[in-house]
Amino acid sequence: MDLQTRIENNAIVVSISGRLDAVTAPEYEKSIRELIESGHIHIVVDFEQLDYISSAGLRGLLLMAKLLNAKGGRACLANVKGNVQSVFDMCGFNAVFKMGNSVAEALTMLI
Amino acid sequence: MIKIEHLSKNYGDLVVLKDITIEIKTGEVVTIIGPSGTGKSTLLRCLNLLEYPSGGSIYINGVDILDKKVDVAKIRQKMNMVFQSFNLFSHLSVLENLTIGPIKLKGMSKQAAQTKALELLRLVGLAEKTDSFPDELSGGQQQRVAIARCLAMEPEIILFDEPTSALDPTMIREVLSVIHRLAREGMTMAIVTHEMDFARDVSNRVLYMDEGIIYEEGPPEQIFEHPKEEKTRAFIQRIRSYTCRISSPDYDLYAMNAEIEVFCEKQILPKKTRNNLLLLVEELLQIYTPYLPTIVLDLTIAYAEKSERLKIVCESSGEAANPLDSDNLSDDDLGLTIIKNLTERIDYQWLNGKNRLQFLLKTNQP
Repeated sequence: MDLQTRIENNAIVVSISGRLDAVTAPEYEKSIRELIESGHIHIVVDFEQLDYISSAGLRGLLLMAKLLNAKGGRACLANVKGNVQSVFDMCGFNAVFKMGNSVAEALTMLI
Repeated sequence: MIKIEHLSKNYGDLVVLKDITIEIKTGEVVTIIGPSGTGKSTLLRCLNLLEYPSGGSIYINGVDILDKKVDVAKIRQKMNMVFQSFNLFSHLSVLENLTIGPIKLKGMSKQAAQTKALELLRLVGLAEKTDSFPDELSGGQQQRVAIARCLAMEPEIILFDEPTSALDPTMIREVLSVIHRLAREGMTMAIVTHEMDFARDVSNRVLYMDEGIIYEEGPPEQIFEHPKEEKTRAFIQRIRSYTCRISSPDYDLYAMNAEIEVFCEKQILPKKTRNNLLLLVEELLQIYTPYLPTIVLDLTIAYAEKSERLKIVCESSGEAANPLDSDNLSDDDLGLTIIKNLTERIDYQWLNGKNRLQFLLKTNQP
């Protein structure tokens, strides 16, 4: 997994590529925790380059939502598709997160 | 007609047949199937005394053919054999190949032997090839001549040792249809074959051989539709499997994934199926992780080529407990939800002192 961040429209866009699984989820959780603790409480997670997600990755996303709730922040997901979309469908995650078809759309949903 | 009791055959330390006991009755067509190198051909060759058994008895119509006083040539006349590689006399014409045995061994007149040979060549559809030599015939034609030659000796039983395995697919049918015809006419036959559809159609009884024993036997419906034994099932359904043993929570998920990917590539599984399989395996391992400091998990992925289905079997040591029971699950049930979505069937059993969880992967995921 590779994780890149950039600031856009007063939010932080986190682009993940590769796999979000039992091996990489702890690393994702650590990075997200650090971002939130440093004051970034409006987050768009871009899944454009994410090929694979398992329940461990989903737990990482839930942790992010929980940490943001506690700080009054929010997160939107962008470009959820393919295998990742299938796993989201299985676990009902479409109802848990707001999702945009692009980063730009997800950014508008944060407001 | 033939009774084999406790037959064994070994070459030095190599045990090829162990304690084979079977009976073949007059008019029966028995096919012998199983993986290569499991003793099928050796069993036939022992019956015909081309190989001398290391132990046990073979009775033909009540006569012990392993008795030193028995006339082996006479036995072979009663029980003739058709080989994989035809074994025709290349310097003799088709007609001569058929007449030499009856003339030399049975004392038949040349005229009578030729009349009989023509009749048999008509039976196998080669009456117009009487003057041809074996190398002028196709493989399928040569094998049909070999069958006719075998019939010329008026055997009571014919042993077929993989009669079509040296033939092109186009020629297999012509040979099998001749054997079919003999079966309809009531000829007693024992046939070693890899042609499963043929074995199913022609046999009264099927013997599945593995590791030098008759592992399972029964009517074709049983062996091909409802095999009782696991190895028979694996053979019939052409199951390929991959097993890995996990005995520590620090297992290398990516190394395992790489091996599973190689396995999937070998079976030419679609990418979607591979992804679902990898996801299922990861979710299963996550559920087993809390137990891994104290148990050993054997995870097997079995692909049935015939039905194109993937089965995942988790066998674990430890106390009898289903790791998927909600009481045994840690955290949430996200992993279990994914597992249930990816599979169409989950079975738990406490079997032979092990917890056995079996999953059938769904074929078409949305």
